[in-house]
Amino acid sequence: MPSKRSGPIAIEAIDLTKTYRSTVALDGLSLSIADGTVYGFLGPNGAGKTTTMRLLTGLSQPTSGRARICGRDITNRRELAPAVGYLPETPPLYDEFSAREQLEYAADLRDIPSETADKRISEYLDQFGLAGDEHKRISAYSKGMKQKTAFIQSILHDPQVLFLDEPTSGLDPRAARQIRQSITDFADDGTTVFLSTHILPVVEAVADEVGVLFDGKLVAEGSPDEVKSRVETGGESTLEDAFLAVTSADAPISNTAGATDE
Amino acid sequence: MTLRRDVRHGLRIGRAEFVRSIRGYTKETRRVIGIIFSVLFFGVMTLFLASGAYVAGRSVQSAAEIPFFDPATTVLPAALLVLVVLRTFERIGDIEASEFVLTTVHPRAVVIGLLVAETSRLVLWFGLPIAAFVAAFTSGLGAPTLPLSAAAVLLPLVGWATVWGYALGIGFLRVLQYLPGIRRMLKIVGGALVLVFVAGSQFVGQAIVSEDISIGSLLSRVTFAPLVDYVSLAFVGTPLARPSSWTAAVVALVLLALTPVGLAVATRQATALWFTDVGSRSATAQSKGSESGFSAPKPLALAQSGRIAWGHLVRGVRHPQQFSHLITIIFFIGPVGTSAFQGLDDYLGLVVAGTGIGLATYLAGATFGLNPLGDERPQLPFLLLTATTPRTLVRGRALAGFAIGAPVAVVASLGSIAFGTKPLHGVGFALGGVVMCLAATAFAVGIGTAYPIYEEREFWGTETVVPSTLVLLLYIFIVGGGTTIGYFTTLYLVSEGIPTAVLPGVLIGLYGLVTAGVSYGSYRYAIRRYRTYTFD
Repeated sequence: MPSKRSGPIAIEAIDLTKTYRSTVALDGLSLSIADGTVYGFLGPNGAGKTTTMRLLTGLSQPTSGRARICGRDITNRRELAPAVGYLPETPPLYDEFSAREQLEYAADLRDIPSETADKRISEYLDQFGLAGDEHKRISAYSKGMKQKTAFIQSILHDPQVLFLDEPTSGLDPRAARQIRQSITDFADDGTTVFLSTHILPVVEAVADEVGVLFDGKLVAEGSPDEVKSRVETGGESTLEDAFLAVTSADAPISNTAGATDE
Repeated sequence: MTLRRDVRHGLRIGRAEFVRSIRGYTKETRRVIGIIFSVLFFGVMTLFLASGAYVAGRSVQSAAEIPFFDPATTVLPAALLVLVVLRTFERIGDIEASEFVLTTVHPRAVVIGLLVAETSRLVLWFGLPIAAFVAAFTSGLGAPTLPLSAAAVLLPLVGWATVWGYALGIGFLRVLQYLPGIRRMLKIVGGALVLVFVAGSQFVGQAIVSEDISIGSLLSRVTFAPLVDYVSLAFVGTPLARPSSWTAAVVALVLLALTPVGLAVATRQATALWFTDVGSRSATAQSKGSESGFSAPKPLALAQSGRIAWGHLVRGVRHPQQFSHLITIIFFIGPVGTSAFQGLDDYLGLVVAGTGIGLATYLAGATFGLNPLGDERPQLPFLLLTATTPRTLVRGRALAGFAIGAPVAVVASLGSIAFGTKPLHGVGFALGGVVMCLAATAFAVGIGTAYPIYEEREFWGTETVVPSTLVLLLYIFIVGGGTTIGYFTTLYLVSEGIPTAVLPGVLIGLYGLVTAGVSYGSYRYAIRRYRTYTFD
């Protein structure tokens, strides 16, 4: 059962804002996520979730505000890189490589010693059921196989913070469960997981905390139970009910983090 | 420490990118065959050049006797600089799977990696011929140290041109990122410049021969003397050695000093480009809209195939990069372009009409018809499951091409009246041109569906699918030949009327039958390909 954690801060964002010309993609986002937390990051399409992930991984620069990952400023890429793993929605893989070549390449760029890399790669390929196909070119892989390869790539260096953008999208139930289980295992080992997904049961299953983004603003935050309690349904509410309630056009928007019953 | 790590990462990235390129070149039999032909063709050329270099090496007494040596020392580095700028625009302005690479290593490593990969690709294509040339020249000269001294001299020059070319290219991309209006304008101007350049390159050879222009005197004006002194250092220790000059040493120092500066500038530019998001571009894309809905104009609106054709035309206007393959015709028109108009003052009208009809039949088929299945691959799961028949889909595509080609034929034919063509002849050419466009577009969809290309490649910043070069060349030769015969047949008919003699009658009839038969057969084949298409 997920539980809210406390301790050193892994992800800290203060008043992060990102604008594209006249469009505000992210509007004063503040986060404080403790080490080892699985943070479910929810929001409708276009709410600013991917923008947030790109900002927190240093791939994009905020218009204003600042953020730190494990105490490292997101603008210092050289320090930031070893601390984070990022799996974007589209797996960043090379069709011309096999899974093993791709992972060896990633390990090489991550400065993982080759013996350690070989061992880890073999273990992960085996764990995710790719061992038999490790020498096939990625161009011949199914969507699920690509997703699993990219997931392994993002965790190969044991990052302190793992950013996952729709990691189970398009996966069959077995593969999705493998990813879910891995997320939980990583969190148990102290890795902070920042998980963006539309698949709410996944969030309910693994998240310690949930944040809901709507129109670039954080409109709800807390444990899944706290967020669910914001909805009066007369019966037992689900995360889906809560999500729909806080992201409807006429929902009152709280400007502070923390689950609040308004 | 960080530099060493970045260089190590950069070399690893360069190796990976190079391996990916090699695998890309060889992943299809079609490409392998193309490469084999290229290697054979350029291999023979290299043999000739190498034998010439050997003879030159034996006979040359001083560096000044090497043809175009002085201007080449300036023109070649400048050309390399421009080439890298263009390649930065086209290919190496960013790296694939950037989310992975940019969250893994420092941008400087990525810049180094991209440049290493690009240099390796250049060496792959040009290294062997250059090595053969140098080896042959060295052998003729009897100076075995020349390759080493030449490499020592050229490496700083190549390094300088590469990093500064990249810095310039990335700088331009940054400007375009902030100024999307200029980006669009440059795309248009750039496209026009490419056309002018390609056409000009075809005309220039003729001009040099026919106008007796001295290319040596032209090039001597752009020669930068200190660079000549510097490159001449390659001949140190050989019979061609020149007296050393202090300017050569200064150039060497400047090149060595500016290369790391260029790398730093390129890294700063690239970092700013890659991490300053694509918001401006996506915002621009979002601002484009279509509020008027989709309604075809009158003649096309009458039939479903017409409305489909209108859809192709609208998409073409909104995404003109998909027509990049049409530039190929310049390579064919260029060499005959000037001569076609020479000494034909009395027949200028006929030339105008003929050229117009030729261009019209080319556009009629090549614009939309040479890769229908490849162009529509993403939409095929939808299209093939609609109630619309394959025949209508093929007709729609053919009609779109016809809508482009036929007006060109009519305008050129009627316009030729202003250049001396008789009005009746002009009308006859217009009619003949329209019929030929119809035949061309029907033929195009057949050969286009026979060999579809699905891969996208980047052209002027957008991904687009272009037809197979083989299909395009086949189309140009067959339709070009057919149009030529058709043009003279039309000229005969409008001049002489319906033939009464047996031979002309039989020949014209035969031409008509073959054209109609091949075109109709090709059209039927395209329909069958659509009907039986599977996603294998």
